[in-house]
Amino acid sequence: MEGNTWKRFVLPALVFLIAVISLLILGGLASENPDGFEWAFFDFAGIQESEGGFGGILGFLGEGPLVDAVTGAIGIFLVLIIALLLFRMTSRGTKA
Amino acid sequence: MHVPDGYLPIWLLLTMYAISGAVAFYSIRRINRKFDDRLVPYMGVLAAVIFAAQLVNFQVPPSSGHLVGSTLLAVMVGPFAGTLIMALVLFVQALYADGGLLTYGLNLFNMGVFSCFLGWSLAFIMFRGLRKFTEEKKAVLVGTAFAAFVTTVLAAFVLGLELLTVPGFNVLAVAAITWIHVFIGIGEAILTFVILLYFVRAKPSLVSFLKDSEVKELAVVVGGREEGPQERVTIIKS
Repeated sequence: MEGNTWKRFVLPALVFLIAVISLLILGGLASENPDGFEWAFFDFAGIQESEGGFGGILGFLGEGPLVDAVTGAIGIFLVLIIALLLFRMTSRGTKA
Repeated sequence: MHVPDGYLPIWLLLTMYAISGAVAFYSIRRINRKFDDRLVPYMGVLAAVIFAAQLVNFQVPPSSGHLVGSTLLAVMVGPFAGTLIMALVLFVQALYADGGLLTYGLNLFNMGVFSCFLGWSLAFIMFRGLRKFTEEKKAVLVGTAFAAFVTTVLAAFVLGLELLTVPGFNVLAVAAITWIHVFIGIGEAILTFVILLYFVRAKPSLVSFLKDSEVKELAVVVGGREEGPQERVTIIKS
């Protein structure tokens, strides 16, 4: 991948996404209500929510807006890297 | 719409793993060597955008919703590449315990396979119809937003049908999950419209429905030929 594309597109996009998400999470602008599935399943149908289980690979960091913002940023970076590897592998080479 | 582990029967989860796995494998074969590597950074950023957008829930009292983005992805890069992007977004989310590891196949089916292919089909029909009356950029924006709304509601209905395998989840609950997603679907349509508007203006070549798209070959659904293992090389004229 050309260095210019990294500097001009990928890095600014990464910084922008992380900044916006951090702002929304730390600013308390994201809804804390259960999502559509959780509401219908646990609240409406009254199915008992199980305790424990797999807490996620970063579950040891605990909970809170700051942790959510940090883990969110790590996730964005992780998805970007995996996507770049996957699509790099499945693209055809370009020779300038 | 991310279903956690521990509720659904194992036969359903294994079936969904098999279906989603087969579609993901076929998707890799379909997109293999179909686009040049200059587009890779844009695909990566698109995946990151979808992951980021799914982190933040918007208010839909008494519930909440977030963008799924399947229709948006399908319209931009085709349903095969869209499914693959959803597969890796959902994989990282499953590692974060947002959606289970055993339910990964089911979540991928609902939000990836089913939603990408249905969303693409609806958007394509809408786009072809609207293009007769307005310019193609407006047609793709309106068609995709409408398709995103319908797809969200139908994906929730399918999820409701799957949840009928859980004791205590009845037809009334299927109606409830579908009904709440009518409102979540409006949010999905608005966010889809806004994000697509950005790409239509900033990088229209990354929207497969548009005339000058660079990802048309990648997004071919019917009649696309699978490539062999040899690498094609595009020579760019300086």
